[in-house]
Amino acid sequence: MFFERDLFLHTRPRTVPAAALRFRLTWGLGGAAALMIVIQLITGVLLNFSYEPSPLTAYGSVQHIHYDVLFGRLFRNLHHWTGHALIVIAFLHMLRVFLSSAYRGSRHLNWIIGLGLFFLILLANFSGYLLPWDQRAYWAVTIATSILEYVPGFGTAMLEIIRGGSDVGAGTLHIFHTLHSGVLPLLMLFLMTWHFWKIRRAGGLFLPETEKSTLKSTTPPTERLAARPHLFIREKAAAAIVMAALLYPSIFFNAPLGALANPGLTPKTVKAPWYFIGLQELLIHVNPVVVVLVLLPLMLLFLLFFPLLKEDNLNGNRLVRLFFIGLVAGYAILTIIGLIFRGPGMQLGWFF
Amino acid sequence: MSIEKQPLNPTSNRRTFLSRLWLGLGLVALVQFVGGTLAFLVSGSGKKSTHEPLFIEVGPVDNFALGSVTLIRQGELYLNRLEDGGFLALSRKCTHLGCAIAWDEEQKLFACPCHASTFDNSGRVLKTPASRPLDQHPLTIENGQVNIDIETRNRRQSFKPEQLTYALKKG
Repeated sequence: MFFERDLFLHTRPRTVPAAALRFRLTWGLGGAAALMIVIQLITGVLLNFSYEPSPLTAYGSVQHIHYDVLFGRLFRNLHHWTGHALIVIAFLHMLRVFLSSAYRGSRHLNWIIGLGLFFLILLANFSGYLLPWDQRAYWAVTIATSILEYVPGFGTAMLEIIRGGSDVGAGTLHIFHTLHSGVLPLLMLFLMTWHFWKIRRAGGLFLPETEKSTLKSTTPPTERLAARPHLFIREKAAAAIVMAALLYPSIFFNAPLGALANPGLTPKTVKAPWYFIGLQELLIHVNPVVVVLVLLPLMLLFLLFFPLLKEDNLNGNRLVRLFFIGLVAGYAILTIIGLIFRGPGMQLGWFF
Repeated sequence: MSIEKQPLNPTSNRRTFLSRLWLGLGLVALVQFVGGTLAFLVSGSGKKSTHEPLFIEVGPVDNFALGSVTLIRQGELYLNRLEDGGFLALSRKCTHLGCAIAWDEEQKLFACPCHASTFDNSGRVLKTPASRPLDQHPLTIENGQVNIDIETRNRRQSFKPEQLTYALKKG
């Protein structure tokens, strides 16, 4: 077919090493994330035909999509669940790349591009969170953006720019919608293309030394196989599984839509979106100025530049590994505390 | 002497000059583009929040009993009359992360539903995580009527008696 011949084949290598085909090398996570971004683009464009981004109409138009539009509920659910799942999958992809030490040398830049993509995915999720304009959306965005106020000096100015005013309102919805449906998808497509191209430039997937010697197969691991059919059949199977795993939950579980946003009434329990709950929890225990000015910049510097540190052996620098895993575990613990053990007024307890 | 025989000086020939010129022009164009984009965004967002003072009349002084706390919905603010008769208009936004606080008449305090900060009726923090008193709206009393600027919210680091506004004694 012309689509496969003229377009798809250009993005894939002609041949791949036998060892690179082993599923557990990558768990198919990068490919799954890419497919999910495509699903988001398609469902997002469709939803945008019916969505009306203003405080007076947004909530009603989401109800309209959900209850009246043919397949509207399915597309909304798919967009919602894929968005949340994308954060998890992209994060696991990052973790897998880290644990395989696939960030060395010429792949360092691609690691940074990947971080950029992850950041964009978070922003896309967060900007989409506001669009239904229900109580949950309104107050979660209110408290999450308020964190910016703790940046000394120009925090308030930044807050007003991002909200398009001093409070979350029509301006905020307009800005978030423009970012969500215009700026972020374009940037993501650009970075995604670059990300894939850098893999090709680096000579394909990264193969750990151990991978080459322990492959239990009659095919020599360094032998190159034709991508068609050996790679494509696997990619198509993985894509079908990902599609099914997203589609079935979307048929049975509805994306939430609470009461219409009411700026005068804060619900009993307000939490940031789950991916920011760890940050919200951290802010309860640590002075916000320290978090914003010291902890977050240090973490960013570490994530960007740790590949430059000296390595002990093939598995990389032990301290870096410990630190990275500690970071992940720490954030996971903070998230669990914030998600499950915080109730009304953020009092500790069991509230799941 | 023909042109071909001139020694090639890679650091200063016409080609390097021209390519540097192009690079310079490119940078100027980039700065113009970024500047233009920022100007567009900033002036566009200015329309949405005017920050012009907007005073509304909320009623005669005598409507508000000593020690009373009244919610003024239009400005998302509370009008407090302290026990000594001084008026104070306080924003409803918690100074921690911006949730809407509620007045608890029994305990005589403002409580934030999000992270359990509390404030007294002059806006002072009784319980953290909020770190500064509630923001204050400008307030005037003219001809016995209380007027509040609902568009302006002033930050304060502490409560001071001069932030209160008093009605002139009648007669």
